[in-house]
Amino acid sequence: MPTSAGKRFKPTKYIPVSTAATLLVGSTTLFFVFTCPWLAKVISPLVPLYNGLVFLFVLANFSMATFMDPGVYPRADEDEDKDDDFRAPLYKNVEIKGIQVRMKWCATCHFYRPPRCSHCSVCDNCVEDFDHHCPWVNNCIGRRNYRYFFLFLLSLSVHMLGVFTFGLIFVLHHREKLGALHTTITLVVMCIAGLFFIPVMGLTGFHMVLVARGRTTNEQVTGKFRGGVNPFTKGCCGNVEYVLCSPLGPRYIFDPRKKPHIKIQPPFIRPDPSERQITIKVNDNGIHGTIISSKVSFFWNAEMADSILLIPTSTVFDFLCLDCTAESSLSGKTHPSTPAMYKFRPSFGTMPKVHYHTAGDKIVMPDDQTSQAILEEGVRGHDYRSEPNLDLPEYTNAPLHRTFKSSPFQLDSDPVNSRTLSLKQAQQRSEKGHLVGLQPKTVNSTPYKNIFSPNTLSNRNGSLSYDSLLNPSSTPPAASECLAHRGMPPVGFHSPYLPTKMCHMREPEMQRQQVAPTYSPVMSSRGVGRQSPHLRDRDSSPVRYDNLSQTIMASIQERKEMEAREKRHMLHGHSQTHIYAQDSGVFEGSGGYGLPPNPCYPDGPHCAGSRGPTPPVYGGSRDNLMGVGPSYGQRTPVLCQTGSTLGRAPRTSSGSLHTDHISSNNNHGRVSGPEGLYRSPAHHPRSPAMPRSPSYSHQKLSYMSAQERMDSPRLEAMKVNGQMDCHPSAKGVTASPNRHGNVKKVTGVGGTTYEISV
Amino acid sequence: MFCLLAETSFHNLQELRHNASLANKVFIQRDYSEGTTCKFQTKFPSELESRIERTLFEDTVKTLNNYYTEAEKIGGQSYLEGCLACATAYLIFLCMETRYEKVLKKIAKYIQEQNEKIYAPRGLLITDPIERGMRVIEISIYEDRGSSGCSSGSSSVSSSTAR
Repeated sequence: MPTSAGKRFKPTKYIPVSTAATLLVGSTTLFFVFTCPWLAKVISPLVPLYNGLVFLFVLANFSMATFMDPGVYPRADEDEDKDDDFRAPLYKNVEIKGIQVRMKWCATCHFYRPPRCSHCSVCDNCVEDFDHHCPWVNNCIGRRNYRYFFLFLLSLSVHMLGVFTFGLIFVLHHREKLGALHTTITLVVMCIAGLFFIPVMGLTGFHMVLVARGRTTNEQVTGKFRGGVNPFTKGCCGNVEYVLCSPLGPRYIFDPRKKPHIKIQPPFIRPDPSERQITIKVNDNGIHGTIISSKVSFFWNAEMADSILLIPTSTVFDFLCLDCTAESSLSGKTHPSTPAMYKFRPSFGTMPKVHYHTAGDKIVMPDDQTSQAILEEGVRGHDYRSEPNLDLPEYTNAPLHRTFKSSPFQLDSDPVNSRTLSLKQAQQRSEKGHLVGLQPKTVNSTPYKNIFSPNTLSNRNGSLSYDSLLNPSSTPPAASECLAHRGMPPVGFHSPYLPTKMCHMREPEMQRQQVAPTYSPVMSSRGVGRQSPHLRDRDSSPVRYDNLSQTIMASIQERKEMEAREKRHMLHGHSQTHIYAQDSGVFEGSGGYGLPPNPCYPDGPHCAGSRGPTPPVYGGSRDNLMGVGPSYGQRTPVLCQTGSTLGRAPRTSSGSLHTDHISSNNNHGRVSGPEGLYRSPAHHPRSPAMPRSPSYSHQKLSYMSAQERMDSPRLEAMKVNGQMDCHPSAKGVTASPNRHGNVKKVTGVGGTTYEISV
Repeated sequence: MFCLLAETSFHNLQELRHNASLANKVFIQRDYSEGTTCKFQTKFPSELESRIERTLFEDTVKTLNNYYTEAEKIGGQSYLEGCLACATAYLIFLCMETRYEKVLKKIAKYIQEQNEKIYAPRGLLITDPIERGMRVIEISIYEDRGSSGCSSGSSSVSSSTAR
């Protein structure tokens, strides 16, 4: 019998067990001595044999029930409970097969009692699958010895029955000699058996029912499952089988001498990007400051995950998530900074999440990675390397800029692909500061990626959409380019800007594909990449931002393109598609839309309103940036919103939302031509939505709301699934004039504000 | 004297070498979603993000879960064991180890191997859950506290010379 350490010897607790043992052994012995010889002689020698076997079985089970460890939990170490002891709630809920079960904190043993565990006050131990404390065996009945206890009861019942029966036969045959010794003793034995027969049989019956129902005595008596469902039952047969046939449970008392000694000696291997810390300085000018309120953390740890804003652009994340560690850190805890982001889990799987610090926040990121990243990404770096825009220095200068040397952003829960890409790339890109509008592998995700345009471009995993966007021909160089870009984290996370810009960029990108050369040097290098989306379906291609200056130029370019598109739209009345998808990537947040257009736009017209801030943000940004369809880099991934803001795509925030979702569908270049571009912000498949920080939207909300309202009706027409109808475009046209008044203020990546007259 | 010095230097070296200190402990809790069968959560704890690759960790936990499932499986072998035990009045437990105990030994061996090959080089140490009542898997995180051997080295020098 297990005893707790330090317990005094209490004789009283041994009285029942002694009594029971004495009665059992004594009576049976008497039976064998006085009754069995006659029975063997008269009836059969098998009778004593049978009784002997049964008695042996009873004894064995009785011993096992008495001396076996029922499943005592050892006390928890102090280390284990230091978090729990003082501040922990008394109960912890756990779900077992869909049913909530409460685990209570055991103050004596310092852990939360596992389900079905209970603390025995007599033994002063927590016992696994606690049934009851049996005084007759002076032991708890728990997981390990319940079977023996049950079999003991069964066999004792059988034994008592047998003894009583055979004793009766004996007595009946010796009625005339009742005074004889043998007869008297047999009568006494019979009386004992008869006396204990009722309780024992009752208990046996009770436990048979318990076994059939899969409950413990404790549960039955406390009424835990009265009227409810027992999550531990396996069905009648399963329960019986479990009790009788399951393997003997383990003893939890461990012998420390048997523990092998393992040497732990530094230096320790660390997983790749792991604890590097990259310092990221986030600059925020006035415009963005208000918008970006979410915290940016670039650490590869849990904190990072918490504060990581999900950004659809794979580039950023690729950069960040260089390897699984990054992923795990982030993916394990991907908390989208905004609810919207959740929705936009990147279809492409790599949505970097980035939180933006408020202006001036410093984000510490591992330093090592930068260099490493560059080294590794050397191959890919060409994209951003060649692009002069958005170099880090620029960013640092620009108040608006958030410069992130490396963005350990991790795509939301999507492991790997994009992420692994990169830290390195991100680093490089960030240094270069160009916008990488690459869309992470999937077409859908374009808009998000763009947020980090400069850096995000390199989507290592080769965001499909982006690649297609950039390299429609999907030439290897282009692809690599795209990848490279993707990998780069948007140098900054100018997240606020990015989305917008990206959105804008995207469209222009697409259009730019033909006009790639028009871009600044950045463009030229990336031009190839950029081209692709254009050639392909635009929807999902993330737009890349090269750098600030580029952005501006791009936005201007875009504007022109959008205007052209508008015209086309009006002519063709295309279906909406994923404009957003396309746009989002590229635009740098002008005004900090870095945040995704709000992933949550699934609802149509209500998006703007319901979604709350994000959609409007984009919309607003778009409007600001792009008048009619100016493709400012500012288009936020949210595209949905932007779409609306742009006016082209009549999408209102809702539209954008839709687009976000839809955009994924739209990957295959649904966006047709110019319309697509317009739409892209709005249509942008999910990606834009992802990382947008609500903060952005917030600001724009008011701005957008008006816009959205205008657009919402139109958007409603649009299908959620990315099939934007033509309305948007047409409406966009109408809307745009509203938005794009005379002068639009565009915030570049560097934080410079440009005024562009529409 | 030479031996003493050698010993001293050895101590110094030892001190220098064993300079990893316990920094933190992570507890992997049980996964009760399927009832009381022994299963641990495979969720990757955040504290380990920077220390070990997720896949390695998940592999370890999944393998452990498989071992436990195998140990608790009700099947042919457990029937046989039960019958044999009944037939011999449980005396068989004195000479033969149960199936669960065999699997526990396999688990202990597996954990030791994992520790030696994967976790110790990364400054981590897995504790067999049996020591904790199979409620948690305890992973100790060690940090490199750098060279701290000089002082201890000297003390061992003095102690050795004192001898």
